[in-house]
Amino acid sequence: MYYQTGSYNFPPKRSVATDPLERIERMAAAHAVVIFSNSTCCMCHAAKRLFCGMGVNPTVYEIDQDPRGKDLEKALLRLLGGASAVPAVFIGGKLVGAIDTVLASHINGSLVPLLKDAGALWL
Amino acid sequence: MASHRVGEADSGAPHHHHIPYAIPHMLHHPNNSTFINQEGSAFDFGELEEAIILQGVKINNDDKKQPLYTAIRPAATLDMFPSWPMRFQQHTPRGSSKSGEESTDSGSAVNTLSNTPESPSDHRQPPPPPPQMDAAGGIDSPRLSGSHSQPAAKPAPEKTLRRLAQNREAARKSRLRKKAYVQQLESSRIRLAQLEQDLQRARSQGLFLGGGGAASGSISSGGAIFDMEYSRWLDDDHRHMSELRTALQAHLSDGDLRVIVDGYIAHYDEVFRLKGAAAKSDVFHLITGMWTTPAERCFLWMGGFRPSDLIKMLIPQLDPLTEQQFMGICSLQHSSQQAEEALSQGLEQLQQSLVDTIANGSANDSMHHMAVALGKLANLEGFVRQADNLRQQTLHQLHRLLTIRQAARCFLVIGEYYGRLRALSSLWASRPRESMIADDNSCQTTTDLQMVQSSQNQFSNF
Repeated sequence: MYYQTGSYNFPPKRSVATDPLERIERMAAAHAVVIFSNSTCCMCHAAKRLFCGMGVNPTVYEIDQDPRGKDLEKALLRLLGGASAVPAVFIGGKLVGAIDTVLASHINGSLVPLLKDAGALWL
Repeated sequence: MASHRVGEADSGAPHHHHIPYAIPHMLHHPNNSTFINQEGSAFDFGELEEAIILQGVKINNDDKKQPLYTAIRPAATLDMFPSWPMRFQQHTPRGSSKSGEESTDSGSAVNTLSNTPESPSDHRQPPPPPPQMDAAGGIDSPRLSGSHSQPAAKPAPEKTLRRLAQNREAARKSRLRKKAYVQQLESSRIRLAQLEQDLQRARSQGLFLGGGGAASGSISSGGAIFDMEYSRWLDDDHRHMSELRTALQAHLSDGDLRVIVDGYIAHYDEVFRLKGAAAKSDVFHLITGMWTTPAERCFLWMGGFRPSDLIKMLIPQLDPLTEQQFMGICSLQHSSQQAEEALSQGLEQLQQSLVDTIANGSANDSMHHMAVALGKLANLEGFVRQADNLRQQTLHQLHRLLTIRQAARCFLVIGEYYGRLRALSSLWASRPRESMIADDNSCQTTTDLQMVQSSQNQFSNF
């Protein structure tokens, strides 16, 4: 698991004012499996354990430790359309969803092919 | 007199409530002919007697086709003895006409005299029904209709008919008493639950987590509501299973079978929806398994069954499977295990975090710590929701992996398995416990516990 903490310094200073959605997109595209999480959230812990248990190394962004985390949270909430902004799972840069979607896709067998396509899992 | 009757019956809807000309064991009136001759009398002594006996149960005579032995709207009651048909065969109109004059006035009289059945107030203990009357009453209907073809024996008919009518009436009364008793039990149960809740509230002033409320067996109103919905769901489950069983035995076409299986899936979706609502109102009730039977509670995982265990149980029962199906189901089991593991670890972290919060709650900061702890507790609902989500998805995936016939058998197996588990709970609860007889106190507790359990299990066993 790779944790990205603190401010995301890669883009030059003027894009600090970047739209949070764009930030999310960029962060999600950077790695095969990205989980937006909250360090105190237990369901996020469950999401992380799920992927680790499958042998996947997800990249985790703890948004409560991000200086602009509140914006991210709001944007994620809108993206997921549910009750909670976290955990939010992206695979191959695309949004998979919250924990319920992730679990459902794992049960119906669509999660593993997704992971393989994104290069996060090898048989 | 006969023509009088016929006229009565023809005028109104065919009612089947018979107050016999004489109810010797109930009334002290020597002269019974007064009842018979009064057409549409609003106040019948027989009616009063009946109303008192029924203890406030309202008789609904509004339906046109009122079956003989059902006086109360069945929707308001749980069918506690579903093996006893709630609707018996109906009388022919001629059959009802003989003593049918009471039918028109019985409705009005009793309706004015009785209270609503919903009030859980003072239901007196009903007297035990005369058993021989029941049997007589049950058989009476065809006999009575038969008797109306005017048998040759002249001296017999009136006495016989009177006796038959009395029997019928007594049988009907006993059935109504039974219904009243069941409703009384039902309402007492709710009352008990609410009393426990109030008691719990009073006891837990200022205590966190309600002072071990789960141990005392208190049920919140949300929990009680779910328990009722769940017991109804269990009745439905029984019905679905019978349907499945007969469909499989009858070798229905795949199309027909598909409809039934889809219905069963929808039935399961329904219980998950109910549990979702219950999780919002009382997650502890779900997660401690107070809604299930004790044997099921042994295997409880996050408020329900463990999907991977279910699949493990199913695999040998689903033979024959194609290679592909077998792989699919094994993969399903594997995925489910991984998901269960992840959720369990998440829940464990929640518990640890809760322990830390409670342990560190100092006197100065207690309110803050309580608030934090409450916030953490709220996450429990999410875990139960996800666990149910997992269960639901697993069942749907099974449905996808199997052929329709296999799926039908599969769901039948699941239903039967849990039915047996529930039956096991009942049997265990009612097993003889000689060791308790010596100690009066513990005997009392045992009996109470048994009563609670058997009342719980009564619902799940049918």
